[in-house]
Amino acid sequence: MRAYNETWIENKNVVSQAERWHRRSLLTDDQLTAVRKAYPVGFQTMNGFLEIGLFIFTIIATGGVFLLFVELLSIDDSSIFGLYCLLFGIGLAILNNVLIRRRQFYRNGVDNALVMATTALMVGGFNSQFLDDGSLWQWCLVALPLLAAVVWYYGDTLITFIALAVLYTCLFDLTLEASFGRTLLPFVGMVVSGLLMQATRMIRQRAYYDDAVSLTQWVALAMLLVSVNYYVVRETNWLLIRSTLRRSGVMSPPEIDLPWLFWLLTVGLPIGYLWQGFVRKNRMLIILGVLGVAAAVATIRYYVGILPLNVHLTLCGLFLIGIAVGGIRYLRSSRYGFTDVPDEDSPDEFLISSDVITAAQVAAGTSGHDQHDNVKFGGGKFGGGGAGGGYN
Amino acid sequence: MSPDDLLNDLRQRSILNDEQRQRIAATERIRPFSLHWELRAMLYAGILLLSSGLGLLVYDNFDHVGHGILLLIIAAACVVSFVFAWLNRPPWTTEQASSRSAFGAYALLLACLLFLTLEGYAQYQYNVFGTRYGLVTFVPAMLFLALAYRFDHQGVLSMALTALISWVGVTVRPLTFYFKTNFFDQRVVFSAIGLALVIIAVALVLERQRIKAHFTLTHLTFAGNLLLVALLAGLFNFDELLPWFIAGLAAGCWLADRYARQEQRNRAGSFLFLLMSAIYGYIGLTYLYFKYLHPASSVADYVYFIVSGIVLIAYLLYQRRSVLHESV
Repeated sequence: MRAYNETWIENKNVVSQAERWHRRSLLTDDQLTAVRKAYPVGFQTMNGFLEIGLFIFTIIATGGVFLLFVELLSIDDSSIFGLYCLLFGIGLAILNNVLIRRRQFYRNGVDNALVMATTALMVGGFNSQFLDDGSLWQWCLVALPLLAAVVWYYGDTLITFIALAVLYTCLFDLTLEASFGRTLLPFVGMVVSGLLMQATRMIRQRAYYDDAVSLTQWVALAMLLVSVNYYVVRETNWLLIRSTLRRSGVMSPPEIDLPWLFWLLTVGLPIGYLWQGFVRKNRMLIILGVLGVAAAVATIRYYVGILPLNVHLTLCGLFLIGIAVGGIRYLRSSRYGFTDVPDEDSPDEFLISSDVITAAQVAAGTSGHDQHDNVKFGGGKFGGGGAGGGYN
Repeated sequence: MSPDDLLNDLRQRSILNDEQRQRIAATERIRPFSLHWELRAMLYAGILLLSSGLGLLVYDNFDHVGHGILLLIIAAACVVSFVFAWLNRPPWTTEQASSRSAFGAYALLLACLLFLTLEGYAQYQYNVFGTRYGLVTFVPAMLFLALAYRFDHQGVLSMALTALISWVGVTVRPLTFYFKTNFFDQRVVFSAIGLALVIIAVALVLERQRIKAHFTLTHLTFAGNLLLVALLAGLFNFDELLPWFIAGLAAGCWLADRYARQEQRNRAGSFLFLLMSAIYGYIGLTYLYFKYLHPASSVADYVYFIVSGIVLIAYLLYQRRSVLHESV
């Protein structure tokens, strides 16, 4: 038993697929209506802007209630405070369930905020109860099962992201406990990312976890790129041993172990992503591949660059414009299964016809979250690896 | 569910017939993979890199290369981009331009960015505008405004509005506006309010005349944020005019709310005004509560947050219903 109605989520996918076919005139109006009837979706129709507002004000109100009871019950003992957090978190989870059932919320801001608050309170309360002065990795280890349970129950993307961050932090911190941890660190990153990727492929695809799974894949692939990047490895290494080395007079990052391997992967992995992305027609791999190549170019310039920054930027700009213009002209008619014609997997469809969709959904008494999964986690979130590197 | 499973399912429920099922399955199989937005994003990133690279090039080479030569090169690049954009211009219409070339819009963007570099350089080096600094932002604002309308380009329109807002001495950037001292100056606040009202009025008149009505949302988003930020700044800084700013903020929020409810053209976008009304209004209300009610105990503060939070949640949920129902 999970928080949201699973059938409705599956139906929502069916209806949006049918709507795509309808927009391409593959289904008639009557057939679309029939699909909507046969696959009912009972969730509230909402709008992204309202969801932002609802999230903010739910957090404000919840925070007010939390602090009010701290004040009224005059809680000042830390173990009682931990218990209070746990109980309050459980209370919020129950409230959230009631709201989800009664108001048919599905990621409408209010329920997202309550999931966030519940998780934060439970994790905080649990840790303060059982771990007073544990190290970072112990703290993360305690938090992980709770986070995993929340992800399992709600399929929430924000908590998925936090859970992944906690997982990586836990393993990195644990690795650094070992004497050879510094050398091992990038390999831990690679292995964890690889395993996560493998895990998302093995589990049975359920509509309930579509967003969480695709977010996990984005994070795993991006972290894989980051962990093998020569600049990241060398600078992280320096960050960890800086204070000791400075005392013995070393003032700049020393060469790392196995430099050739990391140089090879810095350049090779993004190219591998691109290659696989084009072979499998996988948008995620193509986008991350391009960002990875950008990061590789920035890394190479940082260590062996001879051009001044202004010339470098100008040339990179010209090069990108060249590729884009060439690609757009080349793909005017579709070649090798690729085209420049925008399709409904692209974001513009949402921007142009979102009002039409909203009106149609209301008219049909159905609802949907008018967002496209494919664009939900656009490169921006993880762009740091590539885009940030461009200005080194 | 994969498309194939879904098709079988639909067939079983006899929503589809066999022939249609096979046709859809076939189109799904041969459908090419679109790289449209990836290529556009690359083009855009390339334009940004190129214009910042050229900007840096100018900045770094004041002393080495002759100023005239650099100026000429950038001017030439700007003119070439603009001529390219002009040759690929969409036909003039007061509606949204339907046919547009793949590169014209991007060339125009590049031309505008280069124009800014060129103008800044000319002002720095040759002091073209003298001490009339207002002109430095006013000239591109007017130029970009005209170009945005002629070329039907939302990006250039945003640049024009940004320049126009800088012209009155206000740069509306999230997070930095409170720290800029500009808003402590009453003249700046009043001119910001005046400019916002003018933009709103012009946008609404143009919408009524059906001249590029799809620009209205961009105009109103810029002007609405400017107006509400300026009103909040007035509320925070000028105690002697407090009642006026309270009334102004209330009126601004009320208008944003009304506009969101009656706007028909872009339903999804109009919800932004509901959000703006709720958030700016809440910031003002919270400020007034803490400044003037001087709550005696922290319990009262917490109760304030609980009650106000719940009221605003109810407001947003209620408005959602009223907006959606009117749209049917």
